[in-house]
Amino acid sequence: MSDADPAHERYLLFPRGWALLIRYALLTIVALLFVVPLIWMFASSLKPEYQIFASPPVWWPSPPRWENYVEALTQLPFARFAANTLIIAVGSIVGHLLSCTIVAYGFARLRAPGKGYLFVVLLSTLMLPYPVTMVPLFIIFSRIGWINTFAPLIIPAFFGNAFYIFLLRQAFKQIPLELEDAARLDGATTLDVLRYVILPLSLPALAAVAIFSFQSSWNDFLGPLIFLQDQSRYTLMLGLSFFRGTTQINWAYLMAASLVTVIPVVVVYFVAQRLFIEGIAFTGLKQ
Amino acid sequence: MNALYRSVAALSLIGLVAACAAPTVPTAAPQTVRETVVVTQIVQGTPETIVITATPEPAPAGSDTVVIRVGTGDGGEGLSPHQQIIQNYEDAHPDIIAQLEPVAGRDYYARLLTQLAAKAAPDIMQIGDDAVPSFVEKGAFLPLDECLQEGGFDPSVYLPGLLTPGQVDGQQYLLPKDYSPLGVYYNKKIFDAAGVAYPEADWTWEDLLATAQQLTRDADGDGTPEVWGIQLPATWTTGFEYWVAAAGGSLISEDGTSFVGYMDSPETIRAVQFYADLYNTHKVAPPPADLNAFGGGNSEFDNGQAAMRLFGIWPQSGMLKNPNIDLGVVNPPAGTARANILFWGGFGISSTTQNLKAACDFLAYYTGEPAAEVWKDWALPAVTSVAESSGQTTDPIKGVWIGELNHIVPRAYTYTPYWNETADPALRTALETVLLDPTADVAAVMATAAQEAQRALDAAR
Amino acid sequence: MASLSGMRRREAVAFYLTISPWLIGLILFTAGPMLISLYVSFTDWDLLTAPTWVGLENYARLLDDPRLWQSLKVTVVYTAAYVPLELAGGLSLALLARPRLRGIGIFRTLYYLPSVLSGVAFVVVWLWLLNPRGGLFNLMLAQAGIPGPRWLLDPQWALPSLVLMSVWGWGRTMVIYLAGLQNIPAELHEAAAIDGADAWARLRTITLPLLTPTIFFNLILSLISTFQTFTSAFVATDGGPLDSTLFFVLYIYRQAFQFLNMGYASALAWLLFAIILALTLIIFRSQDFWVYYGGERAE
Repeated sequence: MSDADPAHERYLLFPRGWALLIRYALLTIVALLFVVPLIWMFASSLKPEYQIFASPPVWWPSPPRWENYVEALTQLPFARFAANTLIIAVGSIVGHLLSCTIVAYGFARLRAPGKGYLFVVLLSTLMLPYPVTMVPLFIIFSRIGWINTFAPLIIPAFFGNAFYIFLLRQAFKQIPLELEDAARLDGATTLDVLRYVILPLSLPALAAVAIFSFQSSWNDFLGPLIFLQDQSRYTLMLGLSFFRGTTQINWAYLMAASLVTVIPVVVVYFVAQRLFIEGIAFTGLKQ
Repeated sequence: MNALYRSVAALSLIGLVAACAAPTVPTAAPQTVRETVVVTQIVQGTPETIVITATPEPAPAGSDTVVIRVGTGDGGEGLSPHQQIIQNYEDAHPDIIAQLEPVAGRDYYARLLTQLAAKAAPDIMQIGDDAVPSFVEKGAFLPLDECLQEGGFDPSVYLPGLLTPGQVDGQQYLLPKDYSPLGVYYNKKIFDAAGVAYPEADWTWEDLLATAQQLTRDADGDGTPEVWGIQLPATWTTGFEYWVAAAGGSLISEDGTSFVGYMDSPETIRAVQFYADLYNTHKVAPPPADLNAFGGGNSEFDNGQAAMRLFGIWPQSGMLKNPNIDLGVVNPPAGTARANILFWGGFGISSTTQNLKAACDFLAYYTGEPAAEVWKDWALPAVTSVAESSGQTTDPIKGVWIGELNHIVPRAYTYTPYWNETADPALRTALETVLLDPTADVAAVMATAAQEAQRALDAAR
Repeated sequence: MASLSGMRRREAVAFYLTISPWLIGLILFTAGPMLISLYVSFTDWDLLTAPTWVGLENYARLLDDPRLWQSLKVTVVYTAAYVPLELAGGLSLALLARPRLRGIGIFRTLYYLPSVLSGVAFVVVWLWLLNPRGGLFNLMLAQAGIPGPRWLLDPQWALPSLVLMSVWGWGRTMVIYLAGLQNIPAELHEAAAIDGADAWARLRTITLPLLTPTIFFNLILSLISTFQTFTSAFVATDGGPLDSTLFFVLYIYRQAFQFLNMGYASALAWLLFAIILALTLIIFRSQDFWVYYGGERAE
């Protein structure tokens, strides 16, 4: 057995023998179900255009048209789109992690009059659908002169985000008060408590926020659509949308480009989710 | 912990720098750097080199360089002619930069409307003909008389009927970019294999039915034909106007006040009945594959499994490269009348433009003869001289499309600016109903549709 | 509460300091558009000309609009079906993929991957899978001798098809559950196992109760976002066939950008807002009955 596992984990949550086999079998079956659409996407990305909806369906094109990838990605300056998207995504992650952590702590731990109402207000900002807020938002940003810049896509992240604040608030509330009280008794300030108690114990939630923030920026279509005008500032999602013309859709190229653009998100996830494995399961406070 | 602290600090620094560096508010940049990226675009087998010019910063106001923003709803390969024409224009006018702002698909209008609401629209905007009345009446476009006069631009260079969709109350607001009537594609391979004669220009609905029936074959008797007679565009509402017009009817009264008596008229009912019968009774048309896709999402014609297809010119370039198809094109058949409808896209000047003179000059260029030389390889050219000199008017395929310009009837939206919210949903529901339910009573369905549209119209007016 | 004691006051100040980034952002970026759209809901606005005040006319129109009720019905039915599914499904995936087995990272990534693929491309894949004649689902059903339904083309099946499609988005909920599961201390399981509790009992008495904050979170978020489903309907069906998938936000979008009735669209949006808010508040009230916070301090 692996030596890296803490003894208690191994004992209870690490199945053995038949249980292990069954679990792997289940994992695989579910994985296959989840993956079928992706396999078809991949196969379609290699087909010549007229074969995509062939009937009877062509499972695997022969010969596979690998050129589709080159053609799809060179039709438009995808490298520039990727760079733009990366700038926005990194800026957003940083902004979200910084701001949402602090705000979530306030909601989780501190008492104040009006807090309950403010929390409801926080959530209610998620409840108004985009189509009616995007026009006023555009008008506002237009007056400040932020249109055709990345500012509307990055700066708001430094002012919190209801979804992540809520998520972190839940995570922080699960940390036992005694830890915090103990630290405060030792003279810790709020900042110290954040640094030494809360953050280390909520790494999985922070990782989740980072993953979602990255994914959300990477996949954001509506924001870049209305805030970016110059083609050289476009993001990947806008680039992908070009394969869907008003009268024609370029399926093969769309599949190919979509699969390529998803790779960074998957990489970020794969790396970050190790934090779930290595997240600290506490057995008591050690300071 | 210190490491964490430090890395967070470093990241936040990077983040803030990124946030500040990226939004470039133009200061005193004496020269705008234009990046030119040469890209070899391969259109599934045919290498073509196009040049993509990216302007990283708009030029500061007050300098010599003028930036004209051009909005378009084209996407994919359709952007190449735009880029090429812009490149040619900029080469001839070094003090003007044309910034193309493309958005493909339906989102184009969402963005355009948002920009218009904030009075931040592009200088030159492309819209489709059905949007012209509402946009013009709401003051989004400038009338072009002055512009045309000063530029000495002669609007008679266009093929017949191409100026009308850009006019409101006799005033010209937009100039044509491209257009398409409806046509019937046919696959000569299938016709030859079945020994059926190609359709002729004077064919009728009865001929269509007979031909389609001859070509539909279900050899193994499993209920699904291997070869269909004709692929139809399912519940495409605006395209359906052809059927109504060819039956001698109209969807709305000429004064734009009444759907009742028109949408449920005997002629319209006959058109809907014939259309639905092709699907459900005679079964010569494959059922729709995707009701949301433009044209029904069917692929039988592309797969060589349908002998004919009724649609606009848009998929033609793909069909010409398709090894399953030996392409021929013929005009849509006559019902009681020979009719066709035109789909059209054009460019106009925004009423909030700050660069009227440059925009005017650019517009004339973009829609005029030199640009038409580029457009003609991508779509049908709008300028007569170019169409003729390139031989397209006599070309066996392109000539058919161009010839149809002589048989156009006005589209229904020209009679009312409320088409989108009144007739369109009602007609779509009606078509969905008759196509999905073979037992539906067409007359009743159309009566309901007419009333629904009428109610919406009365409410809107 | 007469006067706050010194410490309480300091705490209140600390609270407002810590949430100040969000408050400032609220005023700058969020409250403005929301209030503007509220104002617009009392006007008639076609986006191209200036709005004209019409008072409560848009709201009166709500009562009279058959498509509105249809879209409300579609949205409510879909949400009622999908939210429990997503909560349970995400949890199942998380429980399945929780142990640190060899290669578990790959499985977790595979489950998460479909939820990451951008809307359009993925929906298109489903259009093919659900194609009545050539799609994978009906082909497989045909092998089993069952005539498959027409899926997205059938008014009865279109909405269930969308529910089916959304199943592949469970990865997101799974990620959140995984984070939540991480917080459950293992010695509780240890102690329970020593007392003879089997895995199922431990699930019921330890895991689920301690996971309630996460479940609560997922419930609220799922409710809020599922009520606002837009992309899949926009791309896959555009509300059809016969308005059977006319989601509320899709209807709002149509009114705003296709019919140029931004005023009415805003009124619709605020109706949706009120509904979601009411439901959220009800669930919040219910917290006391079923949500257990490990570090709970009396609010």
